[in-house]
This record gives sequence, structure tokens and C-alpha cells, in this order.
Amino acid sequence: MAEETTVRQSFAARYRNFLLGALAVVLFFAAWQAVFLWVPFNPLFITKPSLIAAGYVDLIESGELFHDLAVSSVPFFLGLGAAVIIGVPLGILMGWRPRVGYALDPLMTIFYASPLVALAPLLVIFFGVGVWGKSIIVFTLSVFPFIFNAYAGVHAVDRLLINVVRSLGGGEWALYRKVIFPSVLPYIVAASRVAVGRALIAVLVGEFFAASEGIGFAISRFGDIFAMDRMFGCILTVMVIAVILTEGIRWAERAAFPWRVGR
Amino acid sequence: MTGYIQGRNVGLTFRPPNRAPVRALGGFDIEVEEGEFLSIVGPSGCGKSTFLSILLGLIHPDSGEVLMHGRRISGPGSDRAMVFQEFGLLPWRTVQHNIELGLELKKVPKEKRRAAAARLVSLVGLTGFEAHYPHELSGGMKQRVGLARALATDPEVLLMDEPFAALDAQTRDLMQVELLRIWREAKKTVLFVTHQIDEAIYLSDRVMVMSKRPGRAKRIFAIKLPRPREYEMRVTPEFNDLKLEIWNTLKDEIAA
Amino acid sequence: MAETQTLQTPVVAARDRAEESDAPARSLWRRMEPWAFGLGSIVVLLLVWQFLPSFVPMKAGTKLFFTVPSHIAGTLWRMFATGSVWAPLGVSATAFAIGLGLAIAAGLPLGILLGRSTVLNAMFDPFITAFNATPRLVFLPLLMLWFGIGLWSKVAIVFLGALFPLLINTYEGVRNSDKLLINVVRSFGANEWDIARLVVLPNSLPFIIVGLRLAIGRAILGVVVAEFFGAQDGLGVIMVRAASGFRVDVVFAGLIIFAGLSLLMTGLVQLLEKRMSRWRPDHANAG
Ligand SMILES: Nc1ncnc2c1ncn2[C@@H]1O[C@H](COP(=O)(O)OP(=O)(O)OP(=O)(O)O)[C@@H](O)[C@H]1O
Ligand SMILES: [Mg+2]
Repeated sequence: MAEETTVRQSFAARYRNFLLGALAVVLFFAAWQAVFLWVPFNPLFITKPSLIAAGYVDLIESGELFHDLAVSSVPFFLGLGAAVIIGVPLGILMGWRPRVGYALDPLMTIFYASPLVALAPLLVIFFGVGVWGKSIIVFTLSVFPFIFNAYAGVHAVDRLLINVVRSLGGGEWALYRKVIFPSVLPYIVAASRVAVGRALIAVLVGEFFAASEGIGFAISRFGDIFAMDRMFGCILTVMVIAVILTEGIRWAERAAFPWRVGR
Repeated sequence: MTGYIQGRNVGLTFRPPNRAPVRALGGFDIEVEEGEFLSIVGPSGCGKSTFLSILLGLIHPDSGEVLMHGRRISGPGSDRAMVFQEFGLLPWRTVQHNIELGLELKKVPKEKRRAAAARLVSLVGLTGFEAHYPHELSGGMKQRVGLARALATDPEVLLMDEPFAALDAQTRDLMQVELLRIWREAKKTVLFVTHQIDEAIYLSDRVMVMSKRPGRAKRIFAIKLPRPREYEMRVTPEFNDLKLEIWNTLKDEIAA
Repeated sequence: MAETQTLQTPVVAARDRAEESDAPARSLWRRMEPWAFGLGSIVVLLLVWQFLPSFVPMKAGTKLFFTVPSHIAGTLWRMFATGSVWAPLGVSATAFAIGLGLAIAAGLPLGILLGRSTVLNAMFDPFITAFNATPRLVFLPLLMLWFGIGLWSKVAIVFLGALFPLLINTYEGVRNSDKLLINVVRSFGANEWDIARLVVLPNSLPFIIVGLRLAIGRAILGVVVAEFFGAQDGLGVIMVRAASGFRVDVVFAGLIIFAGLSLLMTGLVQLLEKRMSRWRPDHANAG
């Protein structure tokens, strides 16, 4: 009986939420386009989807957009990579060696709780807004989620598993490889979702300051010259990238660690 | 004379999303007199709670009709109140405020609510627990709060869904006596769902046995024991014969 | 921090157990150990930082960038002693308060609405997902065009930052509401507004509090960043100016003030949470 009913459910019923969402998005853009039939259109303050689309074609054909994205992505990945490489081992060490944990926990908590983005002007002055300066801002903002999640992940390691591996004659390294890394991994993936958001903020902050290329720079420059269509094009691009990154990680979490779904 | 509450050919199918539909009631008929005490027994999952929810006006049948005073029930009303099977107490409200809930929604002034709640608290034997939160009560105490809450709005019809299931045997006996007293004095109509045949016979004017799902009225037993009921009546041969007969009617539905 | 005290990794736990026989003094030490290490590391860090210039020779250029804790503390003290901090702090706090207030005023009702209506929820979902994933900072240049440089563009960025954590958490709380309780109040004649007031809101409160904590963090971030780029007044402005004038001590002082505010607000929310959760089963134990 169960199969019968699932089969009989129509396409519309099964994808109802998706269809409603898609409909809302289409309606939104249509309304945006249509509203200027009644409302006076001032291209210095607002734009409309048709103009955004036209401007977008320009951005792509001139190669500007890809260039800016490429420029921004380098510090984004460098900073994030460094955050993983430093944050994860540090977090694991803090969890695994209680004294290291005792020593660093309050300090890290203080850092994590402060709005570190406030250090950005300083970092910019120290390191400039080239690749390295931006990478360092990205690293500063995104390392703490990794530290804390790895730390929490080690605490969540099942003691029984440790004893099992020990009793089978596993040494310290085997413990790390067979028990600790697998247990900590879901926490690190979850951390990366938070870290990606912070890394995007970091790139934008760096580029708003004084950069001469990059997607953040493009947005603020198009704003300065009142090129609303291309400004919106860049903003929408950042939104799409952000959604792909976070939803992609979420999807990976569900696929790779189904037992953790619902946390 | 038309019945006070009438259900004719009531049918209801639950259609949970992405799961197979469940036909909870089908062709269910019932007639309740004003002031009557009617018990309903039936196998688990046969639609007893569902029927009470329909009477309460929370859900609507998809076939047939349920009338009260000859009018179709279209939604909740202050002439009916339910004692819920799973208590349904608001966890963030104290005993007192849980009891006041219905009165609050009827916009009864604060003083009157206080007074009514105080009276009911002592009626259900919870004096001293007015300021406790539900998680600080035992199952039986929670159930008594639920009873007090239903009584607070002084409904004509009391719908009781296994109200004594969480009580210990002694409290249960006491509450049964108490319920009979309230019923007699306040002249309420009671629909009482239970799994205990003893309890059904002891309390009721009539006992309805329902079939397994989709639930129908299988047979109705009139209980001719004199009133007021006495505890000793439970050990009379008459009582035991009835009990056996009802059990035999019910047994087929459970076994099958 | 409580966690570090209770959770011990098994290896060490086993090692400790083996030594358990000797002296009760050790158990006192074990209780003090986390505190000793935690404070110790902070003190060591501060000392090293303070005396670094005496050990490591620095070029004149580097010295310009360098400051020591005592200097920062002195600057912080002077900012409060002379009262020069209050005006910019007030400007920042105004933007913070208005933005957060608007976010609460909009986020809670919207969250409840979306939680109660599956159709609206499905329709809003793509927008919420998109805005929540995107760093709100990306809208700053646009908001500066629309609202001008000053209070309202700051308010707008704070609002956008704080809105989504509040909205999403409220929504989750509403979705999590007990169907039975809703039926109970409906059976007593409650309308949608009564249901929201009597069941949905109290049930969502723990979720909303979590949302509020996140929102406070985002709001402070919003104020800081907005003041870096789109303001002429406020603590953030002071910090940027200080940075470009190589007044590193002022930058750190500003950071400390912002961090203090963030901790203060989070603490207040925690207090609120404690007061409002008396009915929760775990409350008694959590004390
Ligand atoms: N909201 C619902 N959605 C889907 N199915 C439901 C719902 N409520 C009840 N049902 C189904 O309807 C049937 C009847 O349920 P109901 O609660 O009325 O049984 P009951 O007779 O009260 O049982 P019990 O004696 O165990 O309380 C059950 O099979 C149940 O699974
Ligand atoms: Mg039931």
C-alpha cells in the first residue's frame, strides 16, 4: 500500500516546496522588472533585472568578472588552507592533551568572542592589501572555528573505541588515524561551513579597504561610479557563490555523515 | 426526540504526507443523551481519540456528520472540553496557570480565575502544588491538572480520553468516585474513553465497544446497575457477567 | 570552560587514576589546574609581549608598528578617564541598538509567520538561504549609496546582519512547537494570535535566545565594518584613523572595547535565558 501511494503522488505534490520556491524567485524578478512601469526609474540608485543581465554579459565578455573572481579566490583559499592546517592540529592537541587545553582554552575563547574583524585596518597597514595581506585577514577570521570544532570533536571521541584500538595493540599513531581523525572529521566539515562565511567577509573587508582588483573592489568601484547594473551583477555573483559553497558543504555533510544529520 | 449528540456514518482518513493514508474511522454511528455517561472501549488505534477530537471540533470528518443540539459541529466551543490522553499541559505554566488557561481565553477576570483555580486545585487534590511546573509533577498529578483544566470552563460535555490511565490504582478509585460526584452535581454529559472494562461498567450508563480500525460502533451495552454506584458493586455476579460479555465482544477485535 | 574541567581524555584519565592513591593535596591541584594553566598562559603571553622589545632589537620602522600591553592599558585608561570614548561609543551604540531592535521587531513575527505557514515558508526559503549564506557586508557599498554615509547605512547593515539568525531560529522554534499543545489551546477557543502568544512563542524562546546571541555578534560585526568604510563618527572610525596614523595602541583599545561590549551583551542574554527557563526540566540541574 505504501508504494502505491508514493507512486501515485503527483510530480507537483512531491516537488511542491521546490516549485513554490522557484515560483517565488521568478515572481520576485518579474515584479522587480515590472514595478518601474509605475515607479519612476532612477538609474543612479536602482537597476532592474534586464539591465543587470545586459551588464552581466559585458562583465563576462570583457573577462573582468572572471579576473576579479580569480584575484579574490587566491587569498580566500590560501587563508582558509592555512586556517585548516594550523587550526585543526591545534584544536586536536588542545583536546588530546588536557594541559594544552587548559592553557589555551580561555585565550582562544577571548579571541573567538572578540570581533576580530576590528583588527583588519591594522592588518592592512602591516601587510598591505595584496595577496598576503588578504590571506592573513582570511586566516585570522577563519582559524577559530576550526580550532574550536576540532577541540570539541576530540572531546566527543568515544572512549570505548579508544580502548578497543589499544587492546588490539594499536599505538598512538594508529589511534589518531583510526579513531580520532574519523571522529573529528564531521566537526571540521561543520567548522568549514562557518569558516567559509567568515573568509568571504575577510576577503570583502580587505578589498573594500584599498585594493585595486578583486570582486569586493569591483563592487565598491561600481558603486562609486553609479554603475548599478554591474554592481548588482557582482553582488548576485557573490550571493550565488556563497550559496553554492555553504549548501555544498551542507550537502557533503549529509552525504558523508548521515548519522549526524539533525544536529 | 433527537439525540443530544449525534454522529452519523462518520468517516475519517488521515493522509500524512509521503506516507500511506490511515482510515481511522469508517461508518461510525453514535447517539448520546443529554446528561448521559457513555464509555467507549475498543482496541488500540481504532479511532477513539480521533472521534473525541472530531467532537471537540479540532478535526473534521471527511464523510458523515456529527451534530450537537442538532447543529453540525464546526469548531471548538466552550460547551465542550477535553481531558487529553497525553496531558497536553503547557510546560512553561505552573499548575495554577494551566488550570486557568480556558478561563483566560474566555476573558474571565483575574480574580474569578484565581478563585476557580483554587477550588479546582483542592477538588483534584493538588493543594500545595499550585506553583509547581508540569515537569515537577508525577504522571497522575499531571492528569489531574488536565482534568481540573477541563472542568474549569464548566463545559456541558466532558470528553475524557483515558484520563485515569496514568494514575495508581488507589488514586484511580478515588478519582472515579470524584468524577461521578462532579457528573451528578454539575449534570454534565461525559464521553469517557478507557481500556479498562471494570472502569467503564462502574462509571457508565452505557458502554460502547468499537471494532478495530476503521472504527465503528460494534455493540452497545446498557448498564442497569443502580445509582449511586458503590464500590461493592464491582464484585457482584451481575457486574462480572457484564464484564465477561463485553470482554468477549472486544476480544475478537483485538485478536483479529 | 566548564567543559574542559569535566571532560578528560581517556589516556590522561587512566594515568591519573593510577596515581590516585597519593595525597588529597593532589586533588586540590587537579581542580586548580585548568585555572592555573588558563591564567598562566594569558600572563605569559602578556609578559612576553610586554618585554619583547627589550630582548629583540627592532628596526625603527617596525617599532612604529609595535605597541606593548602596558601602553594599550594606558591608552584605554585615558580614553575613559578623559571621557573621550563616550561620544564615539554612543554613536556606535546607537546604530547597534536601532539595528538590532528593528531586526528583533521584524525577525520574530516573520519567523513565526513562516513557521506557521508551509506555503510562505517554501516561497521565502530561497531568499532566506541566499541572504543567510551571503556575507551581508557585500551590500555595504549599495547601502551607503541608498542611505548615505552615517547612521542609517550602519543601521541597515546591522539590521541585515542580525535579522537572519533571529528569523531562522524563531522559525526553527516555531516548527518545533508541540502540535498537541496547539490543539489544546485551540480546543479552548484560541485563535491564531492566541496560539502564537500562548504556545508558539514560549516554545520558541530557547531558540530565539540562541538566535539573539548570534544576532548580537553579527550586529557588532556590522557596526565595526560599517564604520570602517561608511561613517564619519563612531568607535570604528576612530580605529581606522588610528591605524592609518600608526596608533596601534588605540586600535587595540578599540578592539578591547568592542570585545567587552560583545561579552557584556552575551552575558545579559544568558542572564535573561536563565530567568526565563525556570519551567525547563533541565533547569534545576543546570542551576
Ligand atoms: N495526526 C495523525 N496523522 C496520521 N495518522 C493518525 C493521526 N492521528 C491518528 N492517526 C492514526 O489513526 C488511527 C486512530 O488513532 P487514534 O488516536 O484515534 O486511536 P485510539 O483509538 O485513540 O488508540 P489508543 O487506544 O491507542 O489511544 C491510528 O492508527 C493512528 O495511527
Ligand atoms: Mg487514544
